[in-house]
Amino acid sequence: MSTNIDKLHDDHHHTPTGIMRWITTTNHKDIGSMYLWFSLIMFFVGGLMALVIRAELFQPGLQLVVPGFFNQMTTMHALVMIFGAVMPAFVGLANWQLPIMIGAPDMALPRLNNWSFWILPFAFTMMLSTLFMDSGGPAAGWTLYPPLSLQGGDSFPYTILAIHMLGLSSILGAINVIATILNMRAPGMTLMKMPIFVWTWLITAFLLIASMPVLAGAVTMLLTDKFFGTMFFTASGGGDPVMFQHIFWFFGHPEVYILILPAFGIVSTIIPAFSRKRLFGYDSMVYATASIALLSFIVWAHHMFTVGMPLAGEIFFMFTTMLIAIPTGVKVFNWVATMWRGSMTFETPMLFAIAFIVLFTIGGFSGLMLAMVPADFQYHDTYFVVAHFHYVLVPGAVFAIMAAVYYWLPKWTGKMYNEGLGKLHFWLTTIFVNLTFFPMHFVGLAGMPRRIPDYAVQFADFNAIASVGAFGFGLSQLVFVYILFNTLKKDVTAEDKVWDGAEGLEWTLSSPPPYHSFEEAPKVD
Amino acid sequence: MSSFKKTYLSLTLFTLFMFSFSYMLVPLYDIFCEITGLNGKTNQTKVLTVRENPTERFVTVKFTSTVANSAPFTFEPIDREIIVQVGKINNTFYTLTNNTETVKHATASPSVVPHEDAEYFKKIECFCFSQQQINGLETKELPLQFIIDNELPNDTRTLILSYTMFNTTDQMGSK
Amino acid sequence: MRISNILLMVIFPVTAFAEWETNMPRGVTPTSEVAYDLHMLIFYITVVIGILVFGAMLYSIIYHRKSLGHEPAKFHESTKVEIIWTVIPFIILVGMAVPATKALIMMEDTRDSEITLKVTGYQWMWQYEYLEDNVTFFSKIDTESNTARRLNSGVDVKNVNNYLRNVDNAVVLPINTKVRILLTANDVIHAWWVPELGGKKDAIPGYVNEIWVDIQEPGTYRGQCAELCGKDHGFMPIVVHAVSKPEYYKWVGIQKTNKFAKNK
Repeated sequence: MSTNIDKLHDDHHHTPTGIMRWITTTNHKDIGSMYLWFSLIMFFVGGLMALVIRAELFQPGLQLVVPGFFNQMTTMHALVMIFGAVMPAFVGLANWQLPIMIGAPDMALPRLNNWSFWILPFAFTMMLSTLFMDSGGPAAGWTLYPPLSLQGGDSFPYTILAIHMLGLSSILGAINVIATILNMRAPGMTLMKMPIFVWTWLITAFLLIASMPVLAGAVTMLLTDKFFGTMFFTASGGGDPVMFQHIFWFFGHPEVYILILPAFGIVSTIIPAFSRKRLFGYDSMVYATASIALLSFIVWAHHMFTVGMPLAGEIFFMFTTMLIAIPTGVKVFNWVATMWRGSMTFETPMLFAIAFIVLFTIGGFSGLMLAMVPADFQYHDTYFVVAHFHYVLVPGAVFAIMAAVYYWLPKWTGKMYNEGLGKLHFWLTTIFVNLTFFPMHFVGLAGMPRRIPDYAVQFADFNAIASVGAFGFGLSQLVFVYILFNTLKKDVTAEDKVWDGAEGLEWTLSSPPPYHSFEEAPKVD
Repeated sequence: MSSFKKTYLSLTLFTLFMFSFSYMLVPLYDIFCEITGLNGKTNQTKVLTVRENPTERFVTVKFTSTVANSAPFTFEPIDREIIVQVGKINNTFYTLTNNTETVKHATASPSVVPHEDAEYFKKIECFCFSQQQINGLETKELPLQFIIDNELPNDTRTLILSYTMFNTTDQMGSK
Repeated sequence: MRISNILLMVIFPVTAFAEWETNMPRGVTPTSEVAYDLHMLIFYITVVIGILVFGAMLYSIIYHRKSLGHEPAKFHESTKVEIIWTVIPFIILVGMAVPATKALIMMEDTRDSEITLKVTGYQWMWQYEYLEDNVTFFSKIDTESNTARRLNSGVDVKNVNNYLRNVDNAVVLPINTKVRILLTANDVIHAWWVPELGGKKDAIPGYVNEIWVDIQEPGTYRGQCAELCGKDHGFMPIVVHAVSKPEYYKWVGIQKTNKFAKNK
């Protein structure tokens, strides 16, 4: 083992308190907590932007904002939610859970871990500050397609720089995760004995390293096209705006699997715990996850079916996209088989995990419909697409994150959250999430395009329902915040094994675990 | 080297490789376009050796033009539609007028539909991607000499060539 | 009850003119019909799969619970079962891929069109050029909608005729005629989309894309720009009047005469 542990022993007696503790900490538990709090704040920031959008779309006609600002809101909402809420939340869960699940004392590179986190508040301060510039924030969509994105005002270089910083944070974090998992498992924990959440994060980390640098390349090309005379995306110089889309989505598709694979790992952990039954088909689940990751590199153009690709290209990407439904379906079947003939109880984590399976699968169905190119010509750039990705991201990724927080919060803090309030949060959230996003399937099919601040009168009803749902959803999250603060005020009462069906090394530690845990590697059989 | 260091080294190299890969996609994209004719990119290198081999087959070729970014040009094909013998060299031209009083630079970008037939539209002499200097209120003739390759699929009866003219006066040189 | 009353009062004025449309139109062209039929096929298949999977989950949730005293079973793997639920979905996908590929090949075949309409997307309007007849014009959102849509315009949009879906100069096309539509753009990427005519392609500056339509029913068909193109992306609608061939040629004649008159 490295000398990092010896160093930890020395610093142990000099751990600072107050604000300096958080700025200089190299402890995976501290850093995990910081990622999670940051993610929660950004979730509300992004949520506020969503409410501006839904408030404007509540009725036809423009009541609140000018179209240019509306485009800034849709752009920033996506950037904040993807890079500020969902990804940092998963990294926070990785930081807290990976070392204690594999019996390691900390992450492989604790100081790099600290830097990876602290890049984020700086990057987002810069990105969000562009909203206050004269020319406003970025408004070309989070996908930044040229030539439109090249028309961007003063915000443009700051947005690009912020994206570079976010990418760096993710890549450094991913290197840390892989090094930790490959080198620091307790003796006896072979790869096929690892908890499934560790597997999904290992694979996610490889996706991050493969895809984030490509995003960096793409946005750098945008930057040099605008300021340094390159012609990557301008036809007059022999360039092609569509080439940006290819490069962007080569990153973009693995990115959406980055946003969901850790969620799969969480659900694969929680369902067995509350079914009191081992995960069905552990080996299959690992292979399915790896297949999804590999396939994710050859489906990217399904985001671009209307650009004018050759027929052969359209057919190829249609087939590969359909293919990716198979390992995903296998995972759903394995979860159901885990529940089948189990002995289930329905505490809050389990409720969120079950809702995940149902609602994510609905998102998967609309995804399969989108894969069919002739039909996609009618769906592309409509609210049908918006419905699809919000189903896989909100009752998908976000529900998994909430499930994980409810599941592991008693372990992290030693304090039990109020189960009644947890269930209330769950039911309100689930009802409102469906009220918000299900009608979007309808208006999309009926012909409403995306990214418009105003719409024709025939779309009014379902938009009104969606807006009511969105406000309900937002308010319901205040219940979650209340639960968190309420829990933290309580006394430490939780047992080591908080949930009687839970398995894994983390449940052998106290709740909360010691600041430094597994300084001696545990025995794994 | 410890297993940690091996991990860091290989992952860092992989990261750097993927960053350079995004730049590699640029020429790869062009090569792919040439092979498949995606986006109607006709061969950008002009055909150097031409063998006329007229066939009995005739196709319709239409010409159209677009001025990009509302540039102060008038840009029109002289022929809107011609019947062309496959395998024979043809000549036509576009006219470009500078509607301002100051000198401008302009560059045209071609596109052919159907995309999959673009590779059979072989240009011998054209003004694609070459920057034109045009004085204030001047009108220029931009010649185009082309041949439709005999290998053109049998069921294609119409080809459409489109040029988009860009005002490249402020740009730092183009091809 | 109070809150729901208020909500109804707020929503109701709008609902007077709104529709509860939940599905894609079948449309009036071979391409729109083939897209709709494929859409419904896949939809029904996913409904069946959903009923089976969610049904199994529901059964399990009701009967396999600790509170009923159900003891957990011990099984946790089965290669046979994994193979079955990999192969069966694969077969279903192949079943979907066949009609989808056939439909796609048909949709991408623009050969032997009678008329060519070139569409150029601008920020924020469309330009139409009928290549064979050399008729060109711009098409913008109509004044009534354009005034009503301003922030705090004071106009009640439900009283505006075809709000946001009306233009000053509409496209006119003949029915029962294969029309090839070329797409390009002046500035940024746009997309031309009329749902009832089927097909959608991006309009990309410097490049030309193409789709085809063969409108079977006379009527007025409305669409919108379908690619974010800046602040007024939502305000550049499309209107197509499909008329009989004689009426179409009469209209073309008028356009040409007007052009002569303008150029005199």
